Amino acid sequence: MSWNSLNKHWEELSFPSFTAGATEEEQQAQSKKALKKQQKEAEKAAKKAEKQAKMASEQQSAEEDDFAKDRYGVSAMVQSQQKLDRELVRVQDLTPEKADQLIWLRARVHTSRAKGKQCFLVLRQQQFNVQALVAVGDRASKQMVKFAANITKESIVDVEAIVRKVEQKIESCSQQDVELHVERIFVISQAEPRLPLQLEDAVRPDGEGEEEGRATVNQDTRLDNRVIDLRTTTSQAVFRLQSGVCQLFRDTLTKKGFVEIQTPKIISAASEGGANVFTVSYFKTSAFLAQSPQLYKQMCICADFDKVFCVGPVFRAEDSNTHRHLTEFVGLDIEMAFNYHYHEVIDSITDTMVQIFKGLRDNFQTEIQTVNKQFPSEPFKFLEPTLRLEYTEAVAMLREAGVEMGDEDDLSTPNEKLLGRLVKEKYDTDFYVLDKYPLAVRPFYTMPDPSNPKYSNSYDMFMRGEEILSGAQRVHDAQLLTERAIHHQIDLEKIKAYIDSFRYGAPPHGGGGIGLERVCMLYLGLHNVRQTSMFPRDPKRLTP
Amino acid sequence: MPMYQVKPICGGDIKIDLPTCMYKVPNIHAQQGKSCTPEHALQNGELDPAVKALEARQDEIMRKLYELKAAVEGLAKTVMTPDADLDLTVSSSLSSQSSTTFKSTTDLDTVLGKDLGALRDIVINANPVQPPLTLLVLHSLLCQRYRVLSTVHVHSSVASVPPQLLSCLGPRHADSYARHMFQLGFTLIWKDVPKPQMKFSIKNMCPIEGEANIARFLFKLLAPYPIDPAVATLVDSWVDTAFFQLAEGSVKERSAVLRALNSTLGSNPWLSGPEFSLADIACYCCVLQSGSASSSPANVQRWIKSCENLGHFSHAKLLLK
Repeated sequence: MSWNSLNKHWEELSFPSFTAGATEEEQQAQSKKALKKQQKEAEKAAKKAEKQAKMASEQQSAEEDDFAKDRYGVSAMVQSQQKLDRELVRVQDLTPEKADQLIWLRARVHTSRAKGKQCFLVLRQQQFNVQALVAVGDRASKQMVKFAANITKESIVDVEAIVRKVEQKIESCSQQDVELHVERIFVISQAEPRLPLQLEDAVRPDGEGEEEGRATVNQDTRLDNRVIDLRTTTSQAVFRLQSGVCQLFRDTLTKKGFVEIQTPKIISAASEGGANVFTVSYFKTSAFLAQSPQLYKQMCICADFDKVFCVGPVFRAEDSNTHRHLTEFVGLDIEMAFNYHYHEVIDSITDTMVQIFKGLRDNFQTEIQTVNKQFPSEPFKFLEPTLRLEYTEAVAMLREAGVEMGDEDDLSTPNEKLLGRLVKEKYDTDFYVLDKYPLAVRPFYTMPDPSNPKYSNSYDMFMRGEEILSGAQRVHDAQLLTERAIHHQIDLEKIKAYIDSFRYGAPPHGGGGIGLERVCMLYLGLHNVRQTSMFPRDPKRLTP
Repeated sequence: MPMYQVKPICGGDIKIDLPTCMYKVPNIHAQQGKSCTPEHALQNGELDPAVKALEARQDEIMRKLYELKAAVEGLAKTVMTPDADLDLTVSSSLSSQSSTTFKSTTDLDTVLGKDLGALRDIVINANPVQPPLTLLVLHSLLCQRYRVLSTVHVHSSVASVPPQLLSCLGPRHADSYARHMFQLGFTLIWKDVPKPQMKFSIKNMCPIEGEANIARFLFKLLAPYPIDPAVATLVDSWVDTAFFQLAEGSVKERSAVLRALNSTLGSNPWLSGPEFSLADIACYCCVLQSGSASSSPANVQRWIKSCENLGHFSHAKLLLK
């Protein structure tokens, strides 16, 4: 009040001198202005007083009771006490159309940041996240904001909130056009305050961390804390894509008339040679873990299933610690009878692969982009129908590039990579088939080439210059099979059962098997097969 | 038996004063070569051996020149007739006995480089929006000449391709399962590229870009370029005109080219003179592509007819429909 009167006084003082030469109208206008000003000042003072009063009352209420007490808290452990008919909205469905609706949501607290009387939370559901705001107001008290700010990262919360459109896009979230104004918040499951690894660190692109002096997470830490690592957007995308590969593999082959079969994983004899098998105790004797379902696939063909495939674990006791070897992986195996030429088999397999690539390209673009953000790579390129080169052509290409090798030498890993680069340069494809391998470098059950005994009816398939499938027309004649086995100095007694399965009439057939993890790794251009194996097994890792 | 020595009876060098009234004869006892002086030779009408040697050398040079001339003539003959063998060493005896396949292989060697014992695959990337008609025509010509393995692929950068483009290289060869049985590979990849691109040897050759340039390369596998530089230039300029003005040019440019074609074809059966050449292939395809075939002047119409009578263009024409 005193301020107001002072102001008035000043105006009275200045007024006469100003109006000395002014007309009446002007005088009126001036007085109007003054009146307005006066009013404003009055309002200001009133507000100030209100504020002070409010602060005082708030302080009081903080000490005494909290009006929003039942709008937040740690809820009792869900033991299925009650069955609520509450509808929970998915984060990915939070779009501007939902604006101004009151919704319930269950999500993880990705990050939280308190700032004075408000707290910003980022709520995450798988690869999607949204910004939420808890601000002191008539719905939320100061204590509620404080509580929200103190929820540990990775805790699971139930939130009731109003969806609001935002003026400026929220760049850091997947739902960029809306945010949530929280009305209630309950913690369903609390995470320990110290996390073994931070999710932001785990998704940081290679190299970037080093430049800015930020932390990155190394592979072993990730694998030791796989549960948390799998929550990252990158891991989510990788394994969604992997599921897609399996699904597309099954769908495509089923459409082609293949039958899915299950084969035993505990077997009595080593299927290939005998090296690299895991021995397990089997009651009073020992047994082996299957290295490949090949024998069983072939028996199914002899049993008139015509075309079969199976998806299952395959075990290799190879003590090699490379980026692409695992001791247990998922094998996608195909075997089919053909009519006249084993290229019918190649066509079937390559077409299946092309359908998988196309399906991934068309339906998994967001996942591919997500992985690319952390691990940039060129998009996977392929041709339809798939390019098929013969081994002699590959040798000629390598020789032209300066590699010295014999006609019947096997491809070494560096030569494989080099060949991949040469083929990519000429044909611009990341996927191709190399046909007609020298007989000498293939297993005994490979059918020799009819026109040239040096070569065989066998093929390898490559993705980004790395071998993913090795297959062949199999010898389906017991007589020839025995000869080939003797030539390879294999003990006939050990493979008697195998040879016997061809004695009662066997259709000509061929096939091959691919490793799911390797296909995912190479499709995404990743550099370690452990990134695409959920719980990888290698010579140095059995847990988790 | 050793004999005793006696001193010479007269002195070693006795100087005899000969009278000047008599003519001299050469000493018949002395060795001929030594005493043979130019004056004597001339007097006797004999030839100086130095001149003889010179003459022999000249003969030798002339003989070599004739041989060289013959060789060059042989070479010219082989170059000008496309089916002849290029092997120099047998050019004189000409290769009437060598088989046609052998001849073609040597031709391939000269253009594509040494045979490495595997299929020589020419890869052509083309955009399905603009099918390279010229190259398809050249492909069918190559098929008549060599055992060509033709394959069509679709690159992942292209979503889908109309079925007629997938079968544009004709039906699948019955032996296509054995790539090594072919002399030449022709791999067409429908891909999202701004202009057609050809790749052959990654190490020794850079990619060739543009339909006109690829056409020139492929045509060399069929026939050598005209030896007369004037004709060669003429062919080249027609090819450029076809692609720059007929295919990509404005309406004005197009009609100008049609007029030029008309006047040239008034005096010649084909664009580069009496022989059918790459110029005709390129111009025909571009006229067809620009859709001005029906509205073209009389000589051009007549020439289009005769092109079609050759039968190389049926595949290309199907694609435009």
